[in-house]
Amino acid sequence: MKIVARHDEAPGVKTLRLEFQEPAEHEYFKKTYRTGMFGLYGVYGEGESTFCVASPETRKDYIECTFRQSGRVTSALANADIGDLITFRGPYGNRFPIEDFHGKNLLFISGGIALPPTRSVIWSCLDQREKFGKVTIVYGARTVADLVYKHELEEWQERSDVDLVLTVDPGGESPDWKHRVGFVPTVLEEAAPSPDNCIAVICGPPIMIKFTLISLKKLGFDEANVYTTLENRMKCGVGKCGRCNVGSVYVCKEGPVFTAAEVSRMPAADL
Amino acid sequence: MTKILFSDKLDKCVERWKSAGLTVMGPVQRANIKTYAAVEHASEFDFGLILTDRSIKDLFFPQTEPMLRYTIKKDAINTDECLPPREQRIIFGARACDASGMAIDDPLFGWDYKDEYWFQRRNESVIVTIACTNADEFCMCTSLKMAPDSTKGSDVLLRPLENSKGWQVEELTERGREAFKTIADLLQEGSDTAAPVAAVAEKFDLDACVAWLQNPENFDSKFWKEISMRCIGCASCTYLCPTCHCFDIQDEGDTYSGIRRKNWDSCSFALFTLHTSGHNPRSTQSARWRQRIMHKFNYFPSKFNANSCSGCGRCSRECPVDMGITETLQEISKLSQ
Amino acid sequence: MSIEEQYRKRAMELLSGGAVKMVIGYGRGSNAERRRPVFISSPEEVNRLVLDEACIANLSGYLVNEGLLSDEKRVAVFLRPEGIRAINILAAESQLDAEQIVIFGFDVSGNEVKALKGIHVEEFEDVIGAIKEHAPEMGNEELLEKIEQMNPQERFAFWKEEFAKCIKCYACRQACPMCYCRRCIVDSNQPQWVNTSSHSLGNFEWNIVRAFHLSGRCVECGNCDRACPVNIPLRLINHRMAQEVLKSFDHFAGMSKTQEPVLASFKKDDSETFIL
Repeated sequence: MKIVARHDEAPGVKTLRLEFQEPAEHEYFKKTYRTGMFGLYGVYGEGESTFCVASPETRKDYIECTFRQSGRVTSALANADIGDLITFRGPYGNRFPIEDFHGKNLLFISGGIALPPTRSVIWSCLDQREKFGKVTIVYGARTVADLVYKHELEEWQERSDVDLVLTVDPGGESPDWKHRVGFVPTVLEEAAPSPDNCIAVICGPPIMIKFTLISLKKLGFDEANVYTTLENRMKCGVGKCGRCNVGSVYVCKEGPVFTAAEVSRMPAADL
Repeated sequence: MTKILFSDKLDKCVERWKSAGLTVMGPVQRANIKTYAAVEHASEFDFGLILTDRSIKDLFFPQTEPMLRYTIKKDAINTDECLPPREQRIIFGARACDASGMAIDDPLFGWDYKDEYWFQRRNESVIVTIACTNADEFCMCTSLKMAPDSTKGSDVLLRPLENSKGWQVEELTERGREAFKTIADLLQEGSDTAAPVAAVAEKFDLDACVAWLQNPENFDSKFWKEISMRCIGCASCTYLCPTCHCFDIQDEGDTYSGIRRKNWDSCSFALFTLHTSGHNPRSTQSARWRQRIMHKFNYFPSKFNANSCSGCGRCSRECPVDMGITETLQEISKLSQ
Repeated sequence: MSIEEQYRKRAMELLSGGAVKMVIGYGRGSNAERRRPVFISSPEEVNRLVLDEACIANLSGYLVNEGLLSDEKRVAVFLRPEGIRAINILAAESQLDAEQIVIFGFDVSGNEVKALKGIHVEEFEDVIGAIKEHAPEMGNEELLEKIEQMNPQERFAFWKEEFAKCIKCYACRQACPMCYCRRCIVDSNQPQWVNTSSHSLGNFEWNIVRAFHLSGRCVECGNCDRACPVNIPLRLINHRMAQEVLKSFDHFAGMSKTQEPVLASFKKDDSETFIL
């Protein structure tokens, strides 16, 4: 796939927009891709790295991915230029059942670099805004600089049909920071969205998910109405290589999207 | 009267199979290692071995193999998929635990996406198993509800004759019958009796162990830490295991050309599950050993209807610190009483 | 009283008095010939300890397990002279505080097990000095001699065949008390110093890198050799490197806990000019 645009989101975090070179591959993607699925992005000579497709199922002319430059592959991806070719394997995995969300209020909760999977769902819903009720987004990062999709956060901020709650961890605020300061679970409890007719989608580091689930429970959310994605390390993406397993679940095939009820049946210590 | 293959005809069989285009493989001792390898003559086989050090998995899922070769030019990436070279093979003298190990992994490699590397080799191989008449203290097929003469995964089963002069022949599959057609005239009808199969003591109560493993309360038992305290976190148990199938994918080369390879990997390595963020779902050796046991006797069976263990006992036989599945399941048997 | 009984008694005393929090020793294994590492933390369990001629493994590697010594409490460990040398190296390389280690020293010759006097690592310097002068037989002298007689091509062919068996299970590394790196060079991929694949090149790279990393550090305990599931005579490589280091630098690894690492220490008055 060809890199047609790249954007620096935060220190070390980049977004790439990729366009298909092979019409057949593009057709396959259009036919199969649904929000929540992931892919293996690769640079030959370095390898492949797994992350979600950050663009929504309502926009399939391209793929966007957002990642933190960290290892060998993500460094190669980060250093790739516009016009360079990289590889994409996928889309793999299951999806968010967006049709089931129709007519419901939506609560998106996300932390740091985990906004990309949430963002894919957010846009899939905002692109057909009339089908959903109230939309609330709670997003936090360690520092102001670590917030990703800053331009889109502004856009959501300005929309009257989206309620955006932004927060940074204590100490992460800048002098001109006008939003909340505090950890996501705390800020969520203060914002106290109603669980009535509401679907929650949470993505974040394991520790954030753990505490956010406790907060959601306190707020009265039913585990069956809370969705999350598990971002385990993967190599094959097709249920063979064995490393994404949590309990008997192959995250690559049966996930990465799970309800909190499904997650609670997995061995917590292995998450 | 049964069909008999006499040992003194085996060299002719090897020749016959070779001229029919088959690579003939079997248990050998080479460079101070007992393994399965290709042979030119029957004399190279070592049927006296209780079991080879290396499992038969090597022949179906090698420790490293190329997946594709790439070349990169300014505007194009060219790739050539590397499937294994076509090779019809007969593996003569496998053990029942090894043969069944391959059958155990078939559903995994065939789950939804079919692994072509695995199935090409599976489809091009005839496995001729020789029932065991000897076992050592690490053998545990019977504990896994199998036997020294289990037929799972085998195309032909041979039973050693009591007089040590050859084997009774049981053709089990079409593929096995086909391979033995080539040597049909070298087989004889005879009434020689087969030697009794090895007596392999049952070492643990599998059903009780599985029930204990399935109980979510036991996931956090302190047992896991105690049993795995001496585990040094190497991969010898997983790499010698006929059913362990985890792998890594690695690129070797530069920006212009290179090769993508599939390499064995192991759940006993700390890096196996390490996330980019530094979070590691299985950050301790006890969590990793628990995963191995749970995967084999709880998770894998829940998906693929069979334990991911065929009872070869290599994990215990070769462990540098004398651990292994046997000890762990023996201890679990005690706990579940 | 046999040494086994003496040491059980000593373990009991140390554990009941709280002088040590754990005794790492040998216990019965899965068959008559095998001994396995055991970790005894309560006085009631000391009878699990076994000490006889089958107690061969060097247990010192467990001491650097993450978190074991971080509470500054003492740990006792059964060690043969090679293990005691390993403690010296680990202390010299700042991997542990030798004060925390209580040694149950012993040596085996033939079928006889004899106790080594002392508790702290400094007390064994004479024993180690004697080994430096008269290295005990390893049992593979014949093969070593055969390899010494080979020309470089033959020797290369010999190791090529041996390394071809390597499956990169890293049992050698995991069993080695000197391989304590939290992230081994083969697990580092920026840059990818060593191919992870277990093919001919990758196997050579791994085994040669390890040999170099152990030069001047290997105590020749044989843990790698015994751990190798594919029977590569790894110990020979390290033995040869140790001989080189002894010849070139008069350095015998693990003489004392303050011994400078031979390949990681520099002197301004070095007779060679290549460093300074």
